[in-house]
Amino acid sequence: MNAFFRKLRWLTERSAREAELREELQFHLEEEADERHADGLAEDEARWAARRELGSVTLVAENTRAAWGWTSLEQLARDVGSGLRQVRRNPGFSAIAIATLALGIGGITAMFSAFDTILIRPLPYANPDRLVMIWDDLNHKGIVKSFPAPAEWLEWRRHNTVFSDTAVTQPATATLSGDSEPEQVPARKATASFWNVLGVNPLMGRVFTEEEDEAGVRVAVISHGLWQRRYGGSPDVVGRTITVNDNPYEVIGVMPREFYFMPARDVAIWMPASFPAWMRRNFSWHDSEVVARLTPGVSLEGAKESMAALSLQVTAKDFRGPHSVIVTPLREELTGKTQTALVVLLCAAATLLLIACVNLANLLMSRGAVRGREVAVRAALGAGRGRLVAQFLTENIVLAGLGAVAGLALAVPAMRFLEMLVPETMGNVRLALDWRVLGFSAGAAIAATLTFGLAPALRGSRLAPQDRLRDGGRGTAGRSSHWIQHALIVIETALAVVLLTSGGLLLQTFQDRRNMDLGLRSEKLLTFETPLFRYRDFHGRVAFVNAELEAILAIPGVVKAGATSQIPLKVNDPQATFYLLAGQSKDSMPGQVALMRVVSRDYLPTIGARLREGRFFDISDQRSESPLAIVNESFANRNFPGRSAIGARFKYGQLNEKGYWYTIVGVVKEIREVGMEEELRPAVYRLLEHAEQVGSEPNGIVVRTSVEPESIVAAIRQAIWSVDKNQPVARVQTVEEIMARQLATSSQSSGLMSAFALLALFLASLGLYGVLSYAVTQRTNEIGVRMALGATSTDILLSFGRRGMALALVGLAIGLVLAAVAARLMTTLFYGFHPDYLPAVTVVSLVLMAVAALASLVPARRASRIDPMLALQHE
Amino acid sequence: MRREPSSRVGLLQGTLELLILRTLMAGRTHGHAIAKHIQRTSEHLLQVETGSLYPALHRLEAKGWIAASWELSEKGKRARFYRLTPLGRKQLAAERSKWEAFSRAMALVLTPADQEVP
Repeated sequence: MNAFFRKLRWLTERSAREAELREELQFHLEEEADERHADGLAEDEARWAARRELGSVTLVAENTRAAWGWTSLEQLARDVGSGLRQVRRNPGFSAIAIATLALGIGGITAMFSAFDTILIRPLPYANPDRLVMIWDDLNHKGIVKSFPAPAEWLEWRRHNTVFSDTAVTQPATATLSGDSEPEQVPARKATASFWNVLGVNPLMGRVFTEEEDEAGVRVAVISHGLWQRRYGGSPDVVGRTITVNDNPYEVIGVMPREFYFMPARDVAIWMPASFPAWMRRNFSWHDSEVVARLTPGVSLEGAKESMAALSLQVTAKDFRGPHSVIVTPLREELTGKTQTALVVLLCAAATLLLIACVNLANLLMSRGAVRGREVAVRAALGAGRGRLVAQFLTENIVLAGLGAVAGLALAVPAMRFLEMLVPETMGNVRLALDWRVLGFSAGAAIAATLTFGLAPALRGSRLAPQDRLRDGGRGTAGRSSHWIQHALIVIETALAVVLLTSGGLLLQTFQDRRNMDLGLRSEKLLTFETPLFRYRDFHGRVAFVNAELEAILAIPGVVKAGATSQIPLKVNDPQATFYLLAGQSKDSMPGQVALMRVVSRDYLPTIGARLREGRFFDISDQRSESPLAIVNESFANRNFPGRSAIGARFKYGQLNEKGYWYTIVGVVKEIREVGMEEELRPAVYRLLEHAEQVGSEPNGIVVRTSVEPESIVAAIRQAIWSVDKNQPVARVQTVEEIMARQLATSSQSSGLMSAFALLALFLASLGLYGVLSYAVTQRTNEIGVRMALGATSTDILLSFGRRGMALALVGLAIGLVLAAVAARLMTTLFYGFHPDYLPAVTVVSLVLMAVAALASLVPARRASRIDPMLALQHE
Repeated sequence: MRREPSSRVGLLQGTLELLILRTLMAGRTHGHAIAKHIQRTSEHLLQVETGSLYPALHRLEAKGWIAASWELSEKGKRARFYRLTPLGRKQLAAERSKWEAFSRAMALVLTPADQEVP
């Protein structure tokens, strides 16, 4: 501590101490000279000998100053100052360097903020890493993950040994009415254990209890969003009675703003599940999502094994046969497919940053050679190698710091764009420039400095001063420097090729997906939902649906209209139902599942379904006594391979004696019922008039228009209200909007990837151009000699052009090999990524060689136009 | 002409500071005299490089083991004189016993009492 204060005091007496040090060394020299003079040397000679013995006074002074202990800080300040001066003195170079770094750092910062928010940041639950989801494992039936039944869950909850508690949520619909406009909001039913499993507390009020759940008390917990929006954030909402689906519910609690849970962030109401008695015993009612908290000390693997064994016992009663379960961490469920896209994009951003660094290393090396003379002078004056390296690195840190600041400016708008990448299950998340992101970008800047700055700093500080000074500052850096610079160009080009190829392949996959056959015509097709909870009676429901379709058809601009129980492409929980063909015994039934849809007569023609066999429904079918069905090709091919499905009969859903026999009258090309990124499944379409035995209500309406769909939304609302003035109309969307939403992740990832790839190409060509230009400047003399000896300007042009093209070719070859590896990795990550390499590789090769040719041509032309007379005088 | 010693010994790391402290035991003096004193008493076997002498003096001063003041030399010139502080005196004792232990250990290994190798 003493030493610290002493040094602190010395710092204040800085200039006095400098003077003292000079005097002290001067005194030493005089003493030494006197002594040597006394030994018999002439006075002059004695002085010189003393001088020689002392060595460089500057160096001794420098080393002594180091003992004062503040030199490293002072040097840092001086180097930063020198760095800033360098930036000002070479505005062109600095602008390129800072812009390059800004692209690299900005890209990776924005990507990191998305990665951090979606994949790293803790979820809004207590100990979220201990939460898992449990699904039925029906892999052997061709269904990947299936919803468990409440009856199953009750058994698991009673007998499991690995969870501290488990909970069920079930789909629900909620139409709010009474207090203001009727409105349909996303809702979910949950067991009382739900709150305890997640370890969350309401912002206000309370959550429901086991007793309320058991007794079926009508209470509701609402989301922060609904509270703010519909109830104006009023604190007395707790205790208020609201009307949900025409029933009175008491609001007992409001959740905090950050709370959300699967399957979607916008769930606005949670109500007690209150399983009816039949559901507690029925193993065929599969609609639940089960979340569980691992008991402390139990591993995920342990839970998987234990639950698999338990489930095989429990499901012995299941008519589908005993099956195992799938246990997955909650985080994985929430992030879903976005995770792979994010990982790939983060890699791409890192590659871009690496290219930026390599590029900058190259630029700095070229400049290092130019600065050789300055370095030599400083070395001759006694600057140590470590000191020089430190100076160069500090100058580079100044560059990197400026680059990072510019990068952050780029990152902010990029983050707004990336917010669209957040998966729907996590809802609308704002990406923020918080300390984690700032820390990361600072780390990226430092890593970048070391990557691009170290090699040039070591190289620049190495040459012996006498060589440099003798060189007359012409700034030749020798063969090895060329070798390194060429290697850097090759690396840069190869990395750019990897990004270009991957981007091309992703874009191609995305295009394929956009042009995918959906089994319907997506243009000018409007969809919305009219919840039918107010029509409990089957006949009343049928009458209302047909009446509202009639009213819609009467609107000018409407071509066709239809109703369905599920709007295509939108389902996030595809529930399939079992069926039994005529002549089959019940034993063969397990594994036979199909999506079920209840539709109006004109639904299939309205969406533009394509008939493969038979016919659509017609007016006479609506009055027919015998139930009819139209199936899709997957269903027909699976059950009637090689023969016609028309006329075949099957039971569906209700499989006992009371169940209807449906007769197939038509086969359609598969319609993408579930998301665009899912496999096609067998599906059955039944007329709503024949769907008395089913719970599904045809509340989805599709309208084919001849005008812009948005322009008649108001007219449609009016038409529906003319039939029933209290009918809510919800989720108005065109099919094209639904598609855009589905493709959002892949369109954004391929878009971003292409942006990264183009930037990479730009940086690589800039690098090639920079190195060749530098070589031309450096070899002006040599070119002059060659021209004087008879080389034509074409020879010179070719010699430089060849070099550029050769570097690009080597980079291309290495890059294509690496790209093949990257594409293989991506095949395992993305569904439906079966790239066709040839077009992408051809385009990338042509584009790269064209850009390389351009980047080499400009400096090569300059070389070929050199005037030999001037070149030889060039010194 | 000065006689150059046939074999000059390079200073071991850290020993210069010990030599300086020991020299200052005799009383206050300036840098040049310290160097000469070390050379003389080591019979010119130890040559103190000026390049390391002054940094070492300032290091010791920073640690508070020696203190400096401007005084007149015997020839009447202004010179920076160094003297041992009480702390330096304690350090000298400690450093010295460390050195003696080290050199005794070296001597024991290099010239063992009996030549038998176990």
